[in-house]
Amino acid sequence: MSGQISEENTAYMPSPNIHSLSAPVLMSRKQTPSEFLKKIIGRPVVVKLNSGVDYRGVLACLDGYMNIALEQTEEYVNGQLKNKYGDAFIRGNNVLYISTTKRRG
Amino acid sequence: MADEPEPPVAQQTVEEPLDLIRLSLDERIYVKMRSDRELRGRLHAYDQHLNMIMGDVEETVTTVEIDEETYEEIYKSTKRNIPMLFVRGDGVILVSPPMRTGT
Repeated sequence: MSGQISEENTAYMPSPNIHSLSAPVLMSRKQTPSEFLKKIIGRPVVVKLNSGVDYRGVLACLDGYMNIALEQTEEYVNGQLKNKYGDAFIRGNNVLYISTTKRRG
Repeated sequence: MADEPEPPVAQQTVEEPLDLIRLSLDERIYVKMRSDRELRGRLHAYDQHLNMIMGDVEETVTTVEIDEETYEEIYKSTKRNIPMLFVRGDGVILVSPPMRTGT
């Protein structure tokens, strides 16, 4: 357990032991979602939609509505690669989550 | 080094995703929509809701039928052409330059 955790607001703190990230975006102190969103621009991400479809690509930019612009996008349905898009814009209301990932070679 | 102009600490001016759609104005685009619909057409206008005006549109509606006996999935798609179309933004899932599917 990291000794760096602030005492301020520990009502819910995700575990800092996130080893799956290549360059860590560790949540070792209080961090608002918007700070996280600024940090992950340029990284490979997984975007999961409410419909269950997965999009993997490099995050070009996003906004407060969770509208997302991705580059080199791959679309996975039921775990199967379905489509590839050079650029993709995803409307934010469909987004369930945005997650960083170690890009599979 | 006191006279060096300070570069902005953050990155360059960040464009919103909507700014990137602006680059596709008057270009052909591919739109994935709810209810298994896809549109390919020329983007004439859009707004922050992703309401769009598109011209020369081909709409593809995909349905899956399941055979009662063999339980195989039969994919059917229906296409129609629309010269000028208003798309309500809340049905839009994804917007992209059209794929070169080669079909």
